[in-house]
Order: sequence, then structure tokens, then C-alpha cells
Amino acid sequence: MDIAKKVSDNALVRAISDQSRVKNVGDNYIVRNLWGGIRSMVNDRMTAFYFGILVTILLMGVFGPMLAPYGVEEIHFDPQTGQMLRAEPPSLAHPLGTTFNGYDVLTRLLIGARPTVLTGIIGGGMILSIGTAIGVTAGYVGGRTETLLMRFTDFVYGVPLIPFGIVLITFLGVGFIPSIMVIGLILWRGAARVIRAQTLKVKQYPFVQVAKASGASTPHIIFKHILPNVAPMAVFFLSLGVGYAIMLQASLTFLGVADPFIPSWGVMIRNAFNSGYMSTAWWWSAPPGLLIAITVLATFMFGRGYEGGDSETANNAIAA
Amino acid sequence: MSSLRRYFAVRSVQTVMMLALVMTALFVLFRSMPGDFTAQMAASGANEEALQAIREQWHLDEPLYMQYYHYLANLVQGNLGESPVYRVDVWEFTKLRIFNTFILVAPAMTFTYVIGVAIGTVAGSNRGSAFERFGTVPIIGVGSSPAFFTAILLVIVFAVWLNLFPTSGMTSPGSTEGLAWWEPYLTRDFAAHYVLPFTAVVCRYLFIPTLIMRNSVVEVMGEDFTEYYRLTGLPTLTRLRHIAKHASIPVLTIYPVSLARALGGLVLIETVFNWPGIGFTLVEAVLARDYPTVQFVFFVVAAFVIVSNFVVDLVYGVIDPRIRLEG
Repeated sequence: MDIAKKVSDNALVRAISDQSRVKNVGDNYIVRNLWGGIRSMVNDRMTAFYFGILVTILLMGVFGPMLAPYGVEEIHFDPQTGQMLRAEPPSLAHPLGTTFNGYDVLTRLLIGARPTVLTGIIGGGMILSIGTAIGVTAGYVGGRTETLLMRFTDFVYGVPLIPFGIVLITFLGVGFIPSIMVIGLILWRGAARVIRAQTLKVKQYPFVQVAKASGASTPHIIFKHILPNVAPMAVFFLSLGVGYAIMLQASLTFLGVADPFIPSWGVMIRNAFNSGYMSTAWWWSAPPGLLIAITVLATFMFGRGYEGGDSETANNAIAA
Repeated sequence: MSSLRRYFAVRSVQTVMMLALVMTALFVLFRSMPGDFTAQMAASGANEEALQAIREQWHLDEPLYMQYYHYLANLVQGNLGESPVYRVDVWEFTKLRIFNTFILVAPAMTFTYVIGVAIGTVAGSNRGSAFERFGTVPIIGVGSSPAFFTAILLVIVFAVWLNLFPTSGMTSPGSTEGLAWWEPYLTRDFAAHYVLPFTAVVCRYLFIPTLIMRNSVVEVMGEDFTEYYRLTGLPTLTRLRHIAKHASIPVLTIYPVSLARALGGLVLIETVFNWPGIGFTLVEAVLARDYPTVQFVFFVVAAFVIVSNFVVDLVYGVIDPRIRLEG
């Protein structure tokens, strides 16, 4: 047998050559395990189906505004009579009808996908990063830090989101970004609890103990050993966080504490409700609402595809 | 001291501390608003007299620690001040609204739990069946849609298209004149107005007890004693009852949490139905910058959550002795 091949197969040699290799994002432990988490979910057919929905919504957010047949503020008139098309039912020119102001519903739906997707990404990202930071720190450092962080988490856990969100928004200023930030600043609580529990488990594994005994620094252990092992669970909470952020941002928008000039789906429902045409022009309020519901359902079912979750994880996630 | 008494004592102290923490958080939040506590109210048109009353009530011209002291003293004594928008004592006009909210949320959530636990037990004990795999999807689907959207759909279908129920409000306008405060709640008119908001709450939160019960039942079904029950030939229903008893502990724990979620979601449902509850009041007060009201209503919501957590912990300590030992 070729000796060179034998040598290169040796685990130690491989580990050393790994160190010298040019860093590639895909080789990163965290990225690899995250990817593994996604892959294990996609293997299941139902989960893959929901993943497909999520990808579709994401593509809608990216390309939606380019596909929109009309301008967002374009008011449509009847070519014969010259009158404004006020809450017209669906027709060939306007497949989803028009709004009270003569806007095309399909156009607004496609354009509204972008702020909605953005909400999910920012909100979900905040939930994930704050939750992981607090969970891992509490779990790994332990002691008084842990007590303090977890009591704080318990406190936030009892806070009713929408009332507190409204109060916080009056403080941060009404707007699109504050309405997402408020959600991120509260909803990390479920993730923090579960990731702390997971960290406590990983902390006991032999390789972490060995790393500690051989003098590895705390940041090194956290980034190299703890984070990669909580990453699959983080995917689960990212997925849920995206869904909750979209749903709650729409709720805050509906209450009038977000920017009404960014035409997200939540704003569409709010406009339909306030116009008084809600019950006659169902083609106006139903599509954005259904799209939000489908998106949130997909994130939830996709997250549930994560098999490693025990019942405590699930319960924390359900009542997030 | 017995372990149970010790547990109660520890939990009581924790609860009081949580309440104090909420009060402090509210104080910090409202005092760190840009400008004076009253500046924004003045900007939205409150008159000088009302502002002066607020300054006096909350001692806004004194140093911060004195303000804090007076704030706590006022809150503890139930001296809540006057709302600059409604020009009445905050307690006077919020008390009925608090009642309106609880008369909606408490029965609705209890009903949700009863139904959810039943569905969850059936789903969990028939693992892998079509019902378990697909039956819960619509429940999660409805739970995934924003509460206001579900409420709007209910209004469109049942109030406008089918014309079965009134679209909004708690009673028909003018029907409550000359009645004592509790009399409107006993009328048929109230019952008709009650159905849709009640349904909206149930639809929105049904997935919480259902999913948790399902997971819990699946877990308990995997334990040895359930297999033993099966071997002894107990009838299915009796067996399910035993399993449900074990499996209901997580559902019970999550009850106050989901009540808190429901109170939050109720803000939306009350807004859609124009239900005169505290959620509706809170939104109105925030938009009108009626801070004494916001402060109090928010405190009521938070206190309710904290106290119900405390009560469940006590019940929990009695039914499950393992909990007490952990303290």
C-alpha cells in the first residue's frame, strides 16, 4: 500500500494539515453542524415540503418587487368610464382585485413580501443571537452569572409581549425597525432557556473536559466545542424566531405602532380593516393574512422536524 | 419548617420581589422617556391644569429617588391619579375594563385547555395515526395566523356574510342605560356579542395545550407503568385517564404562561371587536400618551401573570412533592 496515502489518512496528520489549510467557510465547525441540522430536517419529506414553502417566500422577498405588474402607488382607473377602480373584485387585469384606493392587490402583495422577509431575518437573527449568547454564557460560566442571567430570563418570560412591545415602542419611537427590534429584545427567552440546558449537557462531554484540562481558554472552548454542538438547536430557534417575528410584527403594525408607509403584509390587513371595506373586499385582506399564516406555519413545522428536541425544548418553543 | 412551608415561603418572597421589579422597571421606563414625563402629553394637547395635577401627584419636581418613593407609595396605596385624557380617576374607568377582559379571557382559556388536553391525549395515544399527523396541522395553522387576522375572518364570515352575530362591541349601543353595572352581563345581547371574541381566543391558543399534551402523552406512553396498565387489561378509557393524569403536569405548568400570552394577544382581539377591555384601553392610552393609564394597565397585566404563576407553583408543590425539594 502506498505509504503516503496511509500517512495522509492518519487522523493526527489530517488534523495538522487542517490547521494549515486555507480557511474555507464551509469547513467551519459551526457552519458544518448548522448545515447538518438543516440537512437532517430536509431528509424528512414533510419537513422538506415546509422548507420548500420557506424558500418560496424568501424568493418572493428577493424577486417579488421586480415581478410586480404595476407600481406600488399606482392608482388604477376604469378605461371606459375613467372612474377609479375602488375595491374591484378580481379580474384579468388585476388577478387579486384592487384596494379601496385603487391600488393593485397583487402588486402590493409582491412588494410587501420584502419587508416581511426582512422582518423575519432581522427578528429571527436577533432572537437567535441574543438567546444563544445568554444561554451559552449562563450554561458554561455558571455560578452567580448564571443565576443572574436566568432570573432575568424568567422575568422576561413572564412579560406579555404585545403590551410590553407597545410600551417599549413608545420609548424607542414608532417605526418599522423599532417594531422588529422590540420583538427581538423580548422573544429570545425561549431560546436562552433551552440553549442553556443544552450547554449544560455538552459541558459534561469528555472532549470539553479534555480541552479544559489541557488549558484551553473559555472563548476557545465556547467557540470550538460548545457552539458547534448547540448549532442544530439554534437552527430550530432561528426557524421559530423567523415565524414569530413576522407574526408579531404584523400584529404591532395592525395596532398602528409600526411604520404604515412600508407596505408590508401587516399594513395591508390594517388598511383593509380601517377602510371599512374589509368584509366586501375579502380579496384585499385575505391574501396577506393567509400568506403570513402559511409562512409562520411553515417555520413552525420546519422547526418541529428537528429530531433532537426533547419535550422541554418543545414546550418552551410552543409557548414562546 | 416542613419542606412544603419552606417552599411556599421562598416562592412568596420571590413573587413579591418580581412585583417590585416590575414596578421599578415601569418607573425607569417612563422616567427615561425623552423629555419630562408630561412633555409629550403637553405636546398632544393636554391642558396645563391636568399636567399640574400629574406633576403634583407623582412629585415630578423632586429628585429622582424621591419620585421613586412617591411612585411606589402611590401605587401601593392604590392612588393612581387622574387620566389626562378621560379626566377621571384611572381606577374608576379601568376597573370595569379589567373585569371585561377577565370575563373574556378566563372562560375562553379554560375552555381552550379542556379541548386542547382532550385532542392532545387522543393524538398522543394514537401516535403515527393519520389524526396525529394531519389532525394537528389545522390547529397549528390557525394558531400561526396573527390573532387579528383570525378575528377579522370570523367577523367577515359569521357577522357579515352569515349575519349570525354582531360585528363588534360588548353590548348593543344604548341597551345598557339605567342598568346596574353587572346587569348587562346577563343579557342575551351580551351573549351574542361574546361568541365571536371567545371563538377567536380559542382558535388562536388551542395549539398550545394540544401540542404540549400530545408530547407529554407520547412521553408517558413510553414509560413502563403504561405498558403494565395495558397488560392488566384495563379498559382503554380508564388507561387514558391514568396516563392523562401523569401527562398533564407540563400542561399545568404552562397554563399561567399561556394566560400571559393570551392577555397579550387579547390586545389584538379586543381591538378588532372593539371589546372594552384592558388591551383595548392600553392601545388607546399609548396612542393618546395617557401615561398614568398605561402605567397602571401594564402593571395589572404583569401582576396578573406573576400572581398566577405563583398560584400554579403552589398547586404544583402540593400535587407533585418532587418539586418542593428543589426549592
